[in-house]
Amino acid sequence: MVASIVSAKGITKRFGKSIAVDNLRFEIPQGRIVGLIGPNGSGKTTTLKAILGLTPFEGDLTVLGYDPRTQRDALMQEVCFIADVAILPRWIRVSDLVDFVAAVHPKFDREKADRYLAKTKLKPTMKVKSLSKGMVVQLHLALIMSIKARLLVLDEPTLGLDILYRKQFYQSLMEDYFDEEMSIIITTHQVEEIENVLSDAMFIREGKLVLFESMDRIGERFLEVIVKPEFEDAARELNPIDQRTLFGKKAMLFDGVARDALEHLGEVHAPSLSDLFVAKMTGALQ
Amino acid sequence: MTYPWHDSTPIYRQLKEKIVNMLLEGVLQPGDTVPSVRQISAEYQLNPLTVSKALQELADEGLIEKKRGIGMFVAGGAIELLRASERKKFQDIEWPLVVERAQQLGIDLKQLVNRNVKGGK
Repeated sequence: MVASIVSAKGITKRFGKSIAVDNLRFEIPQGRIVGLIGPNGSGKTTTLKAILGLTPFEGDLTVLGYDPRTQRDALMQEVCFIADVAILPRWIRVSDLVDFVAAVHPKFDREKADRYLAKTKLKPTMKVKSLSKGMVVQLHLALIMSIKARLLVLDEPTLGLDILYRKQFYQSLMEDYFDEEMSIIITTHQVEEIENVLSDAMFIREGKLVLFESMDRIGERFLEVIVKPEFEDAARELNPIDQRTLFGKKAMLFDGVARDALEHLGEVHAPSLSDLFVAKMTGALQ
Repeated sequence: MTYPWHDSTPIYRQLKEKIVNMLLEGVLQPGDTVPSVRQISAEYQLNPLTVSKALQELADEGLIEKKRGIGMFVAGGAIELLRASERKKFQDIEWPLVVERAQQLGIDLKQLVNRNVKGGK
């Protein structure tokens, strides 16, 4: 049994009368890369904030064995976080920032940060206000990657970055940082970009967990068939969870129907994670 | 999906296929080092589990060898092993499809074979 990194047993967060996070239950074991995927306002950031001890909530939650509400200091030594609104003071120099983190974080490896920065166009004397958006993310990443954490939380880490920076970001993450002793939680709207990196996907909608499965299981569970017109009725009998029109043909999505049972109906393939997401989000609305 | 992966077979299988093709084309030779799980997962932005699965299958089939603490290498007899299995795959699976397609299109297979062999291409 692999140790749990995050264990949530019914966490709920209310803002006045509205419920942002509704009775979430999940376990994230060690060595996983989990994509937390949901539309705007579905409770993703609130969930991350609960995990990081940045917001009060109801229910039971342990992160690395700590309660984020009462043991936040201990927790923060082993967790790293890049927020979607990651802001650094505009006046600070790169070297000052490295000095600062080195002084406040006991697990910060300064040499590692310098080595990583040397590979970028960032210079120690540069001020944050003169950096491009991509360079700010690189700076963040340099700081994060120099802290040996057991949990890394990334909230829209590549928002607003061009494709080159985005690719480089995930490449550095996989090459220099991730190992099987830690876990990563990522939220992003760029699902296509991360789906192959993930080991698990967690769909959340209106504060509720809609799906939480390993990518392997998702590949086994969900299949999409471009149904031949003569088999449309037969296909409908198998209760597709979603249906869309593709070049005039019906593409039906099935959950838990064996491939053998579908193959004679038409061309079978695995849906992309973004198609599955759209199906799961709209399907629940109907 | 990034990189030219397609969605009709799992990615670990496509990655495996890719390595197999590199062997058949001679890009990877017996004795060559196979990049680590970490390097491959960074380069193609794949989950390490996906990469491990592909490499494990190649190891099970005897195409690559793991040497503890050093890394993975293309096995000595890999090319021969592979040619044999690819030959079988061509005869059992791919060729019948070609025949079927040719018949569908009304192509005379004998003529086609003669022309391609004589023409050199």
